[in-house]
Amino acid sequence: MTPSWIARRSTLRRVGVVLGAVALAAVASSAAAQTLTYAMNQDIRSTNPGVNRDGNTDAVTLHMVEGLVGYDAKGVAAPLLARSVQLSPDGRTYTFKLRKGVKFHNGAEMSSADVLWSWNRYMDPKTQWRCTSEFDGRGAVKVEKVEAPDAETFVMTIDKPSALFLATLARFDCGGTAVLHKDSVGADGAWIKPVGTGPFKLDEWRRGEVVVMSRNASYQSLPGASDGMVGGKRPLVQTLRFLHVPDAATVKAGLLSGAIDIADVDASQVKELKATGKLAIVTAPTAQMHTIILQTKDPLLANKALRQAIAAALDTTQIVQAVSDGFGVPNNSVVPSASAYYTAVQKQGFKHDPEKARKLLREAGYKGETIKMLTNKRPIVPSFEVSVIAQAMLQSIGLNVEIENIEWATQLERYQKGNYQMQSFSYSARLDPALGYEAITGPKAKQPRKVWDNPQAQALLDKSMEVTAPAERQKLFDELHKMQIDEVPIIVLFNNVDFGAVAKRVKGYAPWFASTPRLWEVSVQSAP
Amino acid sequence: MLGFTLKRLLTALPTLLLVSLAVFALVRAVPGDPASIMLGDMATEASVADLRAQMGLDKPIVAQFGLWIMRVLGGDLGQSIQFAVPVRPLLLERFTVTAAVVVTAVAIAALIAVPAGLLAAWRQGSAWDLGVVATATLLMSVPSFWMGLLLLLVLGLQMGWLPVVGYVSIASDMKAGLIYLAMPVLTLVLVESGVLIRMARAAALEVLRLDYVAHARAKGLPEPVVLARHVLPNAFAPTWTLIGLVLGNLLGGIAVVETVFTLPGLGRLLVGAIFARDYPVIQGCMLFITFVYVLVNLFIDLLYPLFDPRVVAE
Repeated sequence: MTPSWIARRSTLRRVGVVLGAVALAAVASSAAAQTLTYAMNQDIRSTNPGVNRDGNTDAVTLHMVEGLVGYDAKGVAAPLLARSVQLSPDGRTYTFKLRKGVKFHNGAEMSSADVLWSWNRYMDPKTQWRCTSEFDGRGAVKVEKVEAPDAETFVMTIDKPSALFLATLARFDCGGTAVLHKDSVGADGAWIKPVGTGPFKLDEWRRGEVVVMSRNASYQSLPGASDGMVGGKRPLVQTLRFLHVPDAATVKAGLLSGAIDIADVDASQVKELKATGKLAIVTAPTAQMHTIILQTKDPLLANKALRQAIAAALDTTQIVQAVSDGFGVPNNSVVPSASAYYTAVQKQGFKHDPEKARKLLREAGYKGETIKMLTNKRPIVPSFEVSVIAQAMLQSIGLNVEIENIEWATQLERYQKGNYQMQSFSYSARLDPALGYEAITGPKAKQPRKVWDNPQAQALLDKSMEVTAPAERQKLFDELHKMQIDEVPIIVLFNNVDFGAVAKRVKGYAPWFASTPRLWEVSVQSAP
Repeated sequence: MLGFTLKRLLTALPTLLLVSLAVFALVRAVPGDPASIMLGDMATEASVADLRAQMGLDKPIVAQFGLWIMRVLGGDLGQSIQFAVPVRPLLLERFTVTAAVVVTAVAIAALIAVPAGLLAAWRQGSAWDLGVVATATLLMSVPSFWMGLLLLLVLGLQMGWLPVVGYVSIASDMKAGLIYLAMPVLTLVLVESGVLIRMARAAALEVLRLDYVAHARAKGLPEPVVLARHVLPNAFAPTWTLIGLVLGNLLGGIAVVETVFTLPGLGRLLVGAIFARDYPVIQGCMLFITFVYVLVNLFIDLLYPLFDPRVVAE
């Protein structure tokens, strides 16, 4: 028989082991609750905002850095590191009053000297900032003068009034024109890492694997709820991981196993993932635009009646239903459906009318010539599906359309050179409608990538880039929309819908208009 | 032996030069521009031109090749367009991941395949032989991505034994690193052991029919001794050649397995570089892969005399 003291000690040891295990589990659970893992399909290119970049790079770096202004939920540029922005009566001088008490990740307080240093660095050709040409006179504006008259004030003077100046400063591909601390670069000017003012700071980037960030404890959030890239931006988790998972099946396994908390998923996966009961699906219409573009300088497609026949032959609603699994909403306008400028005018799109299409085809004198439609099979866009359905619809009215499926880099090069007849093409999100129209409008002789070469449209666009009054801009966008529907240089089909698969323990995550993840104001709850 | 090694390495030089020239020409013949890809559909003509100049892509092709080859001769593989870091350390970092998986997997696959093939040949026509041949055929027929996904679903998702995403390097945490490598290694072991089993069995069958085996048996040697001393060494040589080929092939990148298991290996680096038209990385990877292939085959050839005394390395 076991002596009672031994039995007691054994029992105590067992209790101790159990308690220890419970404590360890609690610690592990708490640690897990402090870590949020977001899966991204491609690795970032660098941590240098607006320099060596792509969409994922922008999304990741904008968790660490901020600019004077940022986009709000409606795609309008609003103060971020600036407290206020004042425009001079002549529309050329912007005075930014900076927020007080904003600190960089290294603890230093931000002042106008940092804004000036950052701006000068961006405009130095050695930096290779992606947006230099937007501000040196080759793009919409030229920044003629920058000043920092006192620690809280930064002044920028441009050569002519521009409605897009702030919107361009806030652009994701410009890295939000982030204000950085000098410690971000070495003595030789070489990039080290982002020392910014954002809600998270960089811990580690393991190329091809993961970007790890930690909470910026001294982050000064704007008040209120999250509002695009502005508003409340509190970091609510201790550790943030952007995990590179290239394969969709692995993403799914990661979501279901709990190794991934949030991931963008395809529309076709929504029902299946929802049915597991382990995930919530959140959606939002974005400014990303799925289109069919027509080369108006092509001998065949230069004929307006032929382009109109193509537009009339396509049943946008059916295409959108099919390629978005019923989640997309048809929109034939360059103005995104979630934009503040999307009104009843923009809702008036192409009318599906096969009879009219056949009549237009006869008017155009079409004799069965082959029209090639370029497309690609990137999994993140419905280009291929769109092209297959569109081909069937166009063939049904007698158009001889052939699909040429090519790799994305090849298609992009042919787009840039204007070397195509038709393309199933997706444009990344442009939050201001003027930027959307700017992407397609312009002289093809100088800018072969431009889709719509019409001096009258160009004049309207130029005007929309100058005037700042929303009502006046609305009129211009309405006019542009009507012209686009009549001339058919492009057939916009719909704005992409983003789907986020979110673990049940995650609270506060929502996709939005700009189609980029925002992981501030997102928390992770411990398991009960 | 030293002379043989030097001779083999010297004969590899023209191969490497030809590969570098072919790869350089081919990647530039493929449509698509790294500057356009980097800037995307928001690029302007001015920004593309700026970036092309910064990347040195505005120079004539011959000048670009000349610059690159001079650098390579100096041991510098250039700078990645995609990641803006030197290619050589990037390659080596990724290669260590691929090599860890491949070498472990091929070693385990060989340890399973050789005895299995030998025993199947020894008992030709038996249930064991049929079972081994059937399993080997099945394993050879299964694509690696499917096998990987199957293991991911069963061992990762259903059983919860192994992590389904992520990677930890063995250097930073030995235990966690081994756990993360388990499924990719198992995938390759299963996929590659099929072909090795078939080869080991076929080679053993040939040797088992030879007179000296019959002689050994006639001397009264026990069967395990016959197999271990007379059949295995002679049957192993062809399998050893195949192991070298498999090893060289896999070390060049296991992109599919790396993609399924989120391993930051050489294959994924190369595939990503092709999509991004990251010319220096593509060229560096191809040159490196060729070099590794040459080295692995040299290593195999140098060890060959150990298994087949008729072969002399000279």
